[in-house]
Amino acid sequence: MKLYKKEGNILQILSFPNENAEKGDYLLIEDPDANKALIAQVIDVQFASIPGVLEELLRTLPDGGEPIQGEDIDPLEIAPHITYIQDASLLVCKTRATLENVTLSPSSNWLPSRSQSTIKKLSIPMLLKLANVEGTRPIIVGSTKDSSLLTIDATAVDGTLNIITGKKGCGKSHLSKLLMSSLIGYKATVVIFDLNGEYTSIGMTSDGKRNMHYDKIHALTPSCNFKVALDQLHLNVVMGILIHALHLPGTSSREFRRLWKNLKEKGRLTLRELGEAIRNLNCNQQVRDALSSRYHALVNSGFFTDNPTESTLLDECLLKSKDQGGAIVINLRNTSTIDRQIVVEYVLGKLVDSLQSWKLKAVFLFAEEAHLYLRETYWNDIVTRMRHFGIFTTFITNQPDTIRENIYRQADNIFLFNFTNEHDLDVVSRAARVDAETIRSIARDLPPHHCLTLGKVVRDFPIVTRVRALDIKTMGETRLFFKKINQRFSASAYSAERNV
Amino acid sequence: MIEQYTITTTPKYNFPQPTIDTTLPQRFLEQSLHSLKQVQHQPFQLNQQSFQQFHISEQHPSNLRLKRQPIDLKPNHQETTIAAVDTSTIKIGETSTGIIIAIRGATTWKQNRNYRYTRLGPFIFHITEENKNEVYNTLERAYFNTYYPSNRHATPHLMQMPTRLASLLERWLQTMLAKTVSHGLILFDGSLTSGTFDTPVQRMKDILSLARRNRSTVLAFSKMTSLRVNGYLITDQLPNHEPPYLLETTGLRFKPPTVVLGGVYVARLNKANYAFRLDIDREIPLQHRMAAVEKLLGNDLYLQGYPETLRLAHILCTFTANEVLAMKHFITRKHGIQIINRPDMHKLLFGPFGKGEIS
Repeated sequence: MKLYKKEGNILQILSFPNENAEKGDYLLIEDPDANKALIAQVIDVQFASIPGVLEELLRTLPDGGEPIQGEDIDPLEIAPHITYIQDASLLVCKTRATLENVTLSPSSNWLPSRSQSTIKKLSIPMLLKLANVEGTRPIIVGSTKDSSLLTIDATAVDGTLNIITGKKGCGKSHLSKLLMSSLIGYKATVVIFDLNGEYTSIGMTSDGKRNMHYDKIHALTPSCNFKVALDQLHLNVVMGILIHALHLPGTSSREFRRLWKNLKEKGRLTLRELGEAIRNLNCNQQVRDALSSRYHALVNSGFFTDNPTESTLLDECLLKSKDQGGAIVINLRNTSTIDRQIVVEYVLGKLVDSLQSWKLKAVFLFAEEAHLYLRETYWNDIVTRMRHFGIFTTFITNQPDTIRENIYRQADNIFLFNFTNEHDLDVVSRAARVDAETIRSIARDLPPHHCLTLGKVVRDFPIVTRVRALDIKTMGETRLFFKKINQRFSASAYSAERNV
Repeated sequence: MIEQYTITTTPKYNFPQPTIDTTLPQRFLEQSLHSLKQVQHQPFQLNQQSFQQFHISEQHPSNLRLKRQPIDLKPNHQETTIAAVDTSTIKIGETSTGIIIAIRGATTWKQNRNYRYTRLGPFIFHITEENKNEVYNTLERAYFNTYYPSNRHATPHLMQMPTRLASLLERWLQTMLAKTVSHGLILFDGSLTSGTFDTPVQRMKDILSLARRNRSTVLAFSKMTSLRVNGYLITDQLPNHEPPYLLETTGLRFKPPTVVLGGVYVARLNKANYAFRLDIDREIPLQHRMAAVEKLLGNDLYLQGYPETLRLAHILCTFTANEVLAMKHFITRKHGIQIINRPDMHKLLFGPFGKGEIS
């Protein structure tokens, strides 16, 4: 490999076919005279501009597109040399750091010698060692291209905002399960808004047996095993539900607050009593109607109950997981949009309460397709205010444009899977921790189950990883129409064969 | 004793392949390797003005006339094999004692509506004042068992060696085609002028006679000609007539020993406004000459009025810049020849006005 050009922080390196460098690889450009080395990452591989290649290709296609048939008698065997030159590639690289006396610095404000520099591949383990990525609480994300493991430190996701994104079916949920189970292993409290009911079985192995986390997983399905009695609710939480999820106007809100306080004082805070109080409320008809419709929405959600034995105390689950770690999976699978918002408002309100009163130290919140249940104002809230209370969010989405730009700018870590759509890549490339070219170039070519890890967890050295397999019962599989038909067909074919 | 059957491999093409005399390529290879060994581990200077050398210029004959009456041609689609040959040479660089050159030849043919080719080379030679005679004479001897008197003066100048060696390979390839193609048309690049240093009269006569023996006709197309009538190039004096047609020339005589072994025509083969000098074997009756051109019209494609088979031969033997780089790579890697960058004196002295030697 030879250093060809440097423009800004982009290096162009000439590489020959036997040197097979690929996108995502790291190169070490050592200048012996300067006693320094540049660390650069290949972000694109192009054909080197070799003179005469066009003529070479053109003359093989003179006959209306059909290659001309023939024989080359090449006694000196020049042909391999022609191919060698023709297949030379140009590696477009981004400088990531300067290595000087075993110390990394992010600067690249020096120019290595074009003639004297030696260029070699830098293995990922060596890079991770130099960057000091591994810590005391390792999480093995997967294997890199050179078959080494990418191990990140759990403390690097502590107090951070993370985004897991990529197109459908490329392994986002799988990675979030991996992170989640690793965090639980380190006794962390994890709350998951599970839109498709695929996290409920992370306590089970793929063959249906219980795994080490089984007792730490608390799967709560609203209106089934997750119901709330009104007297367990704080007024602020209820008001949050009414105003943000059910859009109760200001005047009616005031009236409701008065009603609620009144019932609480009398110790009659039940659904039935609340309905009765609204019916008998002596006020403007429109206010009563507004309150009545919201009341019925609360009742119809099935999330609220007057039966104390039915009600699940979220606090209890949180407390259980406080010491030994655990996950509270809020299964939103069969929940309507409004009910989903009611549940999310409740859970978030409850979390803030618990964190504010130091009942909980911190919570890792995993939110799948959050735009489907998170109100607009919560985005900034979660990223800025709630972070200080100790809610550290990981957004998981296949529609990156549903996450606001300011969230990308503040994201500490991004786990990026394959995207082919330019628009999607543009959105993700707004992340502050990496340059747009790297995202556009590498993410477009990522194979399934491979992710580009960016941010604090890898000390800002983007690394492509094949996410490791997990022995967890899969629940997120798409239901297929033809799968069953095929199975039935193959079964009947099998029985027909046996009959014969 | 068990009688063993003669097993022959399935022929790759329908192209007739009788016993081919491979002596010349073998000698080319030997001489190439031998010459490169002499230069091993020496520095060499890349050619600063790479140029591909082709053909010799023509002399100016007197009494040349161009008949104004065009000979109309009608394409004859009777299936006929069309074969063509061309060679190319390039100077790759210089050493302290000589030059490094590469030579390659190509034969193409159209049969059953398909084009096929055989490419021979590249052969890389290190030619010095010391070895030039040895290289040339060894190849000459390998090529001709017969002695051609005109060759006794044929000690080439060092700078002429690339074209002389290419010419030798070209004549050998032409001979091979003349031997192997029957009832076909053989297209040469250039003219049928002989009696020059690199084309003795007898050598060309032998090639033409071999072709005739196989009932093939040799047609030689010149891309450029310097033949003039009344001061104008013969290819520029086209009548207002619907192509395809030929214009016949008469009175073409060169000073001995130069002889033209073909009838010389101006050929305009399609509506493109290009005409070429066409030499057709003179020993062939006039009627057959026209028939040969009509078969060519009916069997080959034409771009700018030039036969595709010949165009392909030219394209396939030409060295691209990529190949030149590859040959430099080969020389460096296989023979340990160091590339040195001697300053280009033209550029050094005249800066942007130094355009290099005119090739």
